[in-house]
Amino acid sequence: MSLVQISKVSRKYQLNSISVTALKNVDLAVAAGEFLALAGPSGSGKTTLLNIMGCIDKPTTGEVLFDNTQTASLSSDQLSDLRAEKISFVFQNFNLFPVLTAVENVEYALFLKKMTADQRRKKAEAALDLMGLLHLAGHKPLEMSGGQQQRVAIARAIVREPLLILADEPTANLDHKTGEEIVDLMKASNRQNKTTFIFSTHDQKVIDRADRVVRIWDGEIVSA
Amino acid sequence: MMTLKIALRNIFRHKARSVITLSTIVFGCVALIFIGGYFEDIFTQLRESYIRSQVGHIQIFKKGFNENGKADPYLYFLEDDQQIKAEIQAFPEVKSIAARLNFSGLISTGETTIVFLGQGLEPQYEQTVPQQETRDLRAFKKTSKSGSPVISFGQGLVEEDQRQVILGQGLAQTMGAQIGSTITLLTNTVYGSTNAMDMNVKGVFYTSAKDYDEMFLRLPLKTAQKLLNTSSVGSWVVWLNKTEDTDKVYNSLRAMIKQKNLNLELRRWEDLADFYNKTVAMFNKFYLIMRIVTGIIVVLGIFNTLNMAVMERISEIGTLMALGVRRSGVMKLFLLEGLVLGTVGGLLGVVAGMIVVSLVSSVGITMPPPPGASISWLSTPKIIPSVVTSTFVLSVVVGGFSALFPAYKASRLQITTALRYR
Ligand SMILES: Nc1ncnc2c1ncn2[C@@H]1O[C@H](COP(=O)(O)OP(=O)(O)O)[C@@H](O)[C@H]1O
Ligand SMILES: [Mg+2]
Repeated sequence: MSLVQISKVSRKYQLNSISVTALKNVDLAVAAGEFLALAGPSGSGKTTLLNIMGCIDKPTTGEVLFDNTQTASLSSDQLSDLRAEKISFVFQNFNLFPVLTAVENVEYALFLKKMTADQRRKKAEAALDLMGLLHLAGHKPLEMSGGQQQRVAIARAIVREPLLILADEPTANLDHKTGEEIVDLMKASNRQNKTTFIFSTHDQKVIDRADRVVRIWDGEIVSA
Repeated sequence: MMTLKIALRNIFRHKARSVITLSTIVFGCVALIFIGGYFEDIFTQLRESYIRSQVGHIQIFKKGFNENGKADPYLYFLEDDQQIKAEIQAFPEVKSIAARLNFSGLISTGETTIVFLGQGLEPQYEQTVPQQETRDLRAFKKTSKSGSPVISFGQGLVEEDQRQVILGQGLAQTMGAQIGSTITLLTNTVYGSTNAMDMNVKGVFYTSAKDYDEMFLRLPLKTAQKLLNTSSVGSWVVWLNKTEDTDKVYNSLRAMIKQKNLNLELRRWEDLADFYNKTVAMFNKFYLIMRIVTGIIVVLGIFNTLNMAVMERISEIGTLMALGVRRSGVMKLFLLEGLVLGTVGGLLGVVAGMIVVSLVSSVGITMPPPPGASISWLSTPKIIPSVVTSTFVLSVVVGGFSALFPAYKASRLQITTALRYR
């Protein structure tokens, strides 16, 4: 049974009078526990597809079934709650909150969960430790390297123990070595917690580390 | 807690900008607290001077005097009942009670003859201030006599005086009267015959009201009674230790009049203080306008800051929403930032305002005479608790209000557009 299943999904963007079709009739099923790479050149529709699977965007036509729920009928608040409970994101630009320290950034992901401040702090520290960053817990993002920031971002994603982690080009702003380390950390988490990972990339070294590769070209899936 | 921490840190993220925004709020608060305290002091002094020099806190008349007494004042004269006066004097709030007898007539030096309004009074109860005491405005203000008529030439009346009179400054000028010279007062007795008396000019006085000084002269009550051939008086004037007690004493006196079935009626100072009431109403309107203007300036300041913050943090807002923060949660975050700005600015502003008021007050502001008056005076603005609290509340409310639109805008962002935004 799939964790995410999208059927006949199209996504059109309307820019003034010009209409861009970013996804054309896409079908894709991702099973729980997969470690999947979405490969394709820039502008091929990777981000659009991840956004739709992550329930932060809706398809123009087609259906999205997330963890057996039809997302089309959900309200904005219901979608927020669904994401808070089941989905985490990792971004190309890390997107940490600059005013918060590393450990606070990780804690913030637990903000919407019912637990005490103490429990939050413990869990956040454990996640940072797993990323080998406990010694930087009190540092602000701007005091850290890109690789360190992305590891904080991964800690923030895994600390919530979601069903799915979506990473949009997580290594694009990092050098190759650091990028590979990041993918290895994600893979370790996938192996350990059975968390499903879908990440987009156009870096062959990163693609090689995936269990399954879905290739996308001009808004269409060319090999799955 | 987390939200508050984020709000606080975000506010201090751009130090210079926040300092400017907070300064706007602080400046607004200082202005409101200062002007509020300043106006209050003007009100107090205007009121006290009016009470001390003219109307007293409560006036007691024979019933019907205020309605019908103008046409035939003698009909409404009051028997000077010493027992009732003593009873009123015994009230703990009452400082003194004195009889007055107002009448009109002609005053003449032999060369000039004009109309005057005479006030027969008991000098031991009616304070006047010697000229030299007014040189030091600060010391003058401290004496309880402030607001009482000031003797500009010669001396004030004392209990033993009989044929002595003091003239309002304007009246003395018109008459060309000198200290020590003799003038003649001419009036009708209560029986309708004409009576005249030669008087000695003992002094010249002025009050805060110029028109009063142009018409009035003061003489001992006994002499006035002799001149009018009566043993009655026009009214009793009651002075209290504290103006705040006016209503309390007024009610007690009413109860007493009812209980003893006395043929008397009462007037409080504010019933007679038309000028004061109008001035207060006008200044209060100024103050309201000032509040609105200050409020708008602060709204614009906070609005601008938060609007910039929203623009800068678009991708952060996208991240928050991707994490599962609801639109209402994003709205709360920015509303909270507005409220925090308002609260912090309000607190600083209130403290700064109180400091400024104390500093200015320790020096004092020399004020020109108010319209129709002849004394310049010293204003020492007061810290008014109600002004301080309402200013603080205004600051917090304005903070939240200014954040409404930026917060709404932030909460309506499209997640994917926000995340794509650089
Ligand atoms: N918000 C948008 N408005 C208009 N066009 C967009 C928008 N987002 C993406 N597109 C277009 O959709 C296509 C796919 O974009 P995207 O999904 O970002 O591709 P990728 O992530 O593979 O680079 C591109 O042609 C892009 O210009
Ligand atoms: Mg992309």
